[in-house]
Amino acid sequence: MGKIWIIVQREYITRVKRKSFLITTLLAPLGFLLLMSSSVLISTYSQGKMDVAIIDETSLFKDVPIADAEDGSVYFHTITEDYNKVSKEIQGTEKPKYEAIVFIPKDFDIDNPRRTNIAVRYTKRPGIAKQQFISQSINSAYQEVRLKALNISQQQRDEMQEKLSLNFESLDNEHENQSYTAIAGGVGMMMGFAIYISIFFYGTMIMKGVMEEKTNRIVEVLASSVKPFQLLMGKIIGVGAVGVTQFILWGILMIGTVFIVGPLLGIPMSSMQTMPTQPPVEAIDQDSVQALAQTFRSLPLIQILVFFPFYFLGGFLIYGSLFAAIGAAIGEDGDQQSLMIPVTVPIIISIFIAINVINNPDSALGMWGSLIPFTSPVVMSALLPFGPPWWQIALSLLLLLGGFVFTTFIAARIYRTGILMYGKKVKMKEIARWIFSKA
Amino acid sequence: MALLSLQHIQKRYGNYQASNDISFDIPKGKIFGMLGPNGAGKTTLIRMITRILYPDSGNILFNGEPLAERHTEQTGYMPEERGLYKKMKVGEQLIYLARLKGLSNSQAKQAVNGWLEKFNITSWYNKSIDELSKGMSQKIQFIGTVIHNPDLLILDEPFSGLDPINSKLIEEEIRQLSLQGKTIIFSTHRMEQVEEICSDIVLINKGSKILEGSVGDLKQRFKENKFRISYTGQLNESIVSNLQVVNKAEGELTVQFGAEHKGNELLRLFVENKVEVTSFNEVLPTINEIFIRQVEAN
Repeated sequence: MGKIWIIVQREYITRVKRKSFLITTLLAPLGFLLLMSSSVLISTYSQGKMDVAIIDETSLFKDVPIADAEDGSVYFHTITEDYNKVSKEIQGTEKPKYEAIVFIPKDFDIDNPRRTNIAVRYTKRPGIAKQQFISQSINSAYQEVRLKALNISQQQRDEMQEKLSLNFESLDNEHENQSYTAIAGGVGMMMGFAIYISIFFYGTMIMKGVMEEKTNRIVEVLASSVKPFQLLMGKIIGVGAVGVTQFILWGILMIGTVFIVGPLLGIPMSSMQTMPTQPPVEAIDQDSVQALAQTFRSLPLIQILVFFPFYFLGGFLIYGSLFAAIGAAIGEDGDQQSLMIPVTVPIIISIFIAINVINNPDSALGMWGSLIPFTSPVVMSALLPFGPPWWQIALSLLLLLGGFVFTTFIAARIYRTGILMYGKKVKMKEIARWIFSKA
Repeated sequence: MALLSLQHIQKRYGNYQASNDISFDIPKGKIFGMLGPNGAGKTTLIRMITRILYPDSGNILFNGEPLAERHTEQTGYMPEERGLYKKMKVGEQLIYLARLKGLSNSQAKQAVNGWLEKFNITSWYNKSIDELSKGMSQKIQFIGTVIHNPDLLILDEPFSGLDPINSKLIEEEIRQLSLQGKTIIFSTHRMEQVEEICSDIVLINKGSKILEGSVGDLKQRFKENKFRISYTGQLNESIVSNLQVVNKAEGELTVQFGAEHKGNELLRLFVENKVEVTSFNEVLPTINEIFIRQVEAN
């Protein structure tokens, strides 16, 4: 244990002292923010504005208002000019007045709209979002025209369009309501995703560390001082500690931004916590905020807080040791990335299962996924907020422990042989042989 | 007294027999040469001595005890494939290697400072290996091998990649350590270095032991009764017409006798014929010659 500790210290200190550590720690939250806001920005600005002319030869639509897009992407202009003239005009110019024409021909029959379709002709194909918007706008205008023709009053129409809202409630949990599923799903997905990202990020870090030692040729010197297993564990634990440090720093950074930087800049705290995609704070009334908090409190928080760290740790250790084994097998040239496939595929599968699980927490897929040790860290974390039965958690943890012992045993054997193989391309079959060979 | 005793060591990799019933002793306090061509199985033997690998069967005794984990702390190993952490500072790196060998933090620091002073390179303490030349980093590598003052030092091709100046320095250091009573295993495929440095050797080929013994004994055992005589002046050809001359050069003659003759007869022949002899010595086989002969005989 003493020597593992010495190795852990080196792995930890050399990484934390690197500039890249500081940079990722500072930039990752920024990058995350950028990602979030860019998705909003992209949807807003990516396509630019589009002017659409409406030429209605039937005059059926003339009393129906057709609203422009709220995000400023589509503007409608009802014009009375001749279709042929306008279409020729806009085809000939570089910067046409209209990018598209909604053409309602003279023989358009309101009672039989499919006989002569309304055409939308464009000079440049509009994006899917714009197509959808135009289609919706014209359709609802058509509805208006139809309702008017049938002589249905505004009141009748409103009554007709009244919608029901169903309450989904659990029989055995009075607190559980429809927002419960949404919140549990959100929390579950967040936890599953955190494990998924960490496994990839820190797993690759471990793998690179192993490859570095092999390429440096220091590994044989080390192997003559400590057991390969100690070397392997020291590296995994050291990198794990780097990960924990990074998460703590991100936490501090986040809290610091909200509580210190925010007030300094004079931004009210409530608006900082609201993402741009969400409706403004005023729109959420006090009751629903309280209901949300109430729902959050009714999640099995103790279960989550107790078991999530186990799954985080278990997933990290299982995949960390496998990544180390791959690093030892690849070594030096590093052009054998295909060896990574058997390790990366189960992680990717587990995130897909997790996405499915938050929609169907009781599915058989979710149950199996939460039991198999290669998928359980991600899947069970996504499932925890839904309060899975105790036997499932117990069995899953037991299998996770077994999986951990099994994979580290296998990984240590691959590692032990792999680190001493120089200048040799290794095939999967040979790696399989290492597992059964003696040291 | 043997520091290390290998007894009937067997090691296979799949179908490949890397060590085939190898037994030999490494005497305490000697510089011991482990010789053999590339791929003979030297590194496998070393890896078993350093407990990186384990024999399939057979025993290794360290000071009479079965080899155990604690013995790795009394062993310093410089592998043929060697290197250091490129981004780590010289001082930190050496302290790390020393601590892995069981030294405490303060002991390690003390030892590192001692060695850096000895080599007059204390200014390197805060340099990273990246900044050092190859020769310089080889020095650090050597210090890393001996930093914990091991009783047994294993050097696998220690001079490969070293320039003559650094080679000399390391060679001096090896001799120094030997004088201090350390046992040194020196593994190489370059036979000529062995004769200069080692007192005892074992010859290995294709996983099997071919020969072992002290360098002097082996040379005596495989000598061919050859003598080299140097002289000045004219040599009457008739004097040597009855001798088996194996080599002839300006003022020098190498003669081989049958087992029954002795070198004195050659000397007497020259003296009686009044040829001025400037030097006279027995020609012993080089380790390289012995090795080649043994391999061919097997």
